Amino acid sequence: MSELTLLILQFAFLALLWIFVFVVVYAMRSDLFGRRVKKLPDAQAAGAAGPASAAPVAAVSTNTPPRQQAPVPQSKVPTFTPLEGSSAGTHPRATTGNASRLVITAGTKSGTEIPLGTMPLTIGRSTDSSVVIRDDYTSTHHARLMVWNEEWMLQDLDSTNGTFLDGKRVTSPVNVPLNTPIKIGATSFELRR
Amino acid sequence: MNGSSPVIEASPLVPDAGRGIRRIRVPQKLRNLELFLLIVACGINAFAVVLVQLGAIGAVDSTVITLGASLSVLVLGMHVALRYVAPNADPFILPVAAILNGIGIAVIYHVDLINGDTGWDSTAIRQVVWSAIALICAIAVVVVIRNHRVLQRYTYVFMFVAFVLLLLPMLPGVGQEIFGARVWIHIGPFSFQPGEIAKILLAIFFAGFLVQRRDTLSLVGRKVLGVRFPRARDLGPIIVIWALSMSVIVFQRDLGTALLYFGLFVVMLYVATGRTSWILLGGGLFLAGAVIASQTLTYVNDRFNAWLDPFSQKNYDDVGGSFQLVQGIFGLANGGLIGTGLGRGRPDITPLSQSDFIVSAIGEELGLAGLFAILCLYLLLIARGLRISFAGHDDFGRLLGVGLSFVIALQCFVVIGGVTRVIPLTGLTTPFLASGGSSLMANWIIVALLLRLSDTVRNQPRLVI
Repeated sequence: MSELTLLILQFAFLALLWIFVFVVVYAMRSDLFGRRVKKLPDAQAAGAAGPASAAPVAAVSTNTPPRQQAPVPQSKVPTFTPLEGSSAGTHPRATTGNASRLVITAGTKSGTEIPLGTMPLTIGRSTDSSVVIRDDYTSTHHARLMVWNEEWMLQDLDSTNGTFLDGKRVTSPVNVPLNTPIKIGATSFELRR
Repeated sequence: MNGSSPVIEASPLVPDAGRGIRRIRVPQKLRNLELFLLIVACGINAFAVVLVQLGAIGAVDSTVITLGASLSVLVLGMHVALRYVAPNADPFILPVAAILNGIGIAVIYHVDLINGDTGWDSTAIRQVVWSAIALICAIAVVVVIRNHRVLQRYTYVFMFVAFVLLLLPMLPGVGQEIFGARVWIHIGPFSFQPGEIAKILLAIFFAGFLVQRRDTLSLVGRKVLGVRFPRARDLGPIIVIWALSMSVIVFQRDLGTALLYFGLFVVMLYVATGRTSWILLGGGLFLAGAVIASQTLTYVNDRFNAWLDPFSQKNYDDVGGSFQLVQGIFGLANGGLIGTGLGRGRPDITPLSQSDFIVSAIGEELGLAGLFAILCLYLLLIARGLRISFAGHDDFGRLLGVGLSFVIALQCFVVIGGVTRVIPLTGLTTPFLASGGSSLMANWIIVALLLRLSDTVRNQPRLVI
């Protein structure tokens, strides 16, 4: 073995080591740098169909996803807030005993339910969240629903655009009342019996 | 908490017959990524052994097969086990640990070649056997512990066992003193460092204990200069752990282990309570202990002198002086930017270049470029551990994940910092690289626990919007 061959092999080994490091970094890029925002295929389809909803921002600002403008309850979400605020005290706190499901009330998946157990739920754009919300307004790790002393608590994980419980921005962990809207980006959901 | 992990199937969740709820992560995809990375890692490991042979003896013989292939077979076995018992586990941890272990074996093998050790005398062969035992332990941990919350149930049992393990080397029959440190036990032909296993048990105990007690440790206290300090009566746990660490320094004469246990507790306390005052208190306590120890204990004082002034002739010549440290630094200097090449350096000049000083051996043969790649691999491994803890669901699992990853991080810092003269030299092993069965076993068990935690994290109801 000549010196030159050994030197070339040495360079090859170092290069291979670094390639391995970068392959690992590339494979975990979404965890390191946050997940890329992808436009929903449905929103694009709807955008192609009607010029009014072409801009997703405009569609979201009215809090009504482009594809579902007909159902009444969703367009009412903004006007809901003062009513709910005044009657918030009447809603009992959600506990593991009385809340059995999480219902999406506004957004593209409106009407969908998830059964609630006692395990906490994480919400965000990252793929390891329990509820993955992929829109322009959601942070990678946005919020968390967790159980403290058998009561459901909502915690904002320092998200950019905020988590709103009954129209008020959540800054520290708060108790979640039943049937009260929690809004993240363009999606609202409630805990129900 | 029940043992089964709730996975929601797509159909019952969709009342509005739209697009179904998709499981966006297909489990096998993760495992296939792991398999790909593992094959690359095993290739690099085999390449390293071939390079050592070409550089040192100029030919390739059959030792390559025993050293290169046996570890590959074992890690692939672990991969297969994960496919069945933890299909959602993190795909990066196993390949990174495998490549670190393999490069360690290659460098140890080179020192063996120079010393002329063959057969059972060869440290590399023993390291391969220990890797096998460690990996079998790791597979057993993943298979047996299907739910990490089981560990929380035995919080205080783990504490008791950890203390017994720490005390074992002090027993006159089995304890053994090597290079001044009394941290080994010796049974028959085997010697073992029980402190390595104790660090995992302590991490489990700290996690269980802090989950129960953190409210008292975090909510009350008086504010001084904008930092909320705990009440005097809540200082109990930190004082106990500090006393434990100090007694390790005094009786077992092992600085590194003491720093490891105390640092682990302080960081887990900080993560559990979120209060800076614990870091301030812990740092202050440790500094006070270190200063007292350096003034009163000769061996600590020697280490400090060797650290502050290694190149003076007196320190260099002294017994327990800076000879080893300086040789390690000479080795690093000899390596330079790209190293002498695997199998072509002289790592044997530094005493203990197979275990404590393996970092300087790697720095000599692979250079700065290679050593930084190794550090990046550690960084990736630790980042994965912290990431798993961050995404965790139960507080016990989250704290445990932080503790286990931080043990690896702190150990790397203490060893590599000691060899490169950032901090005084202490006798800890470099995780996965250094020769030593107990260390390998402990670190592979940590890997197994992190894999188990990551599998639980991903196994949850999932809805994609």
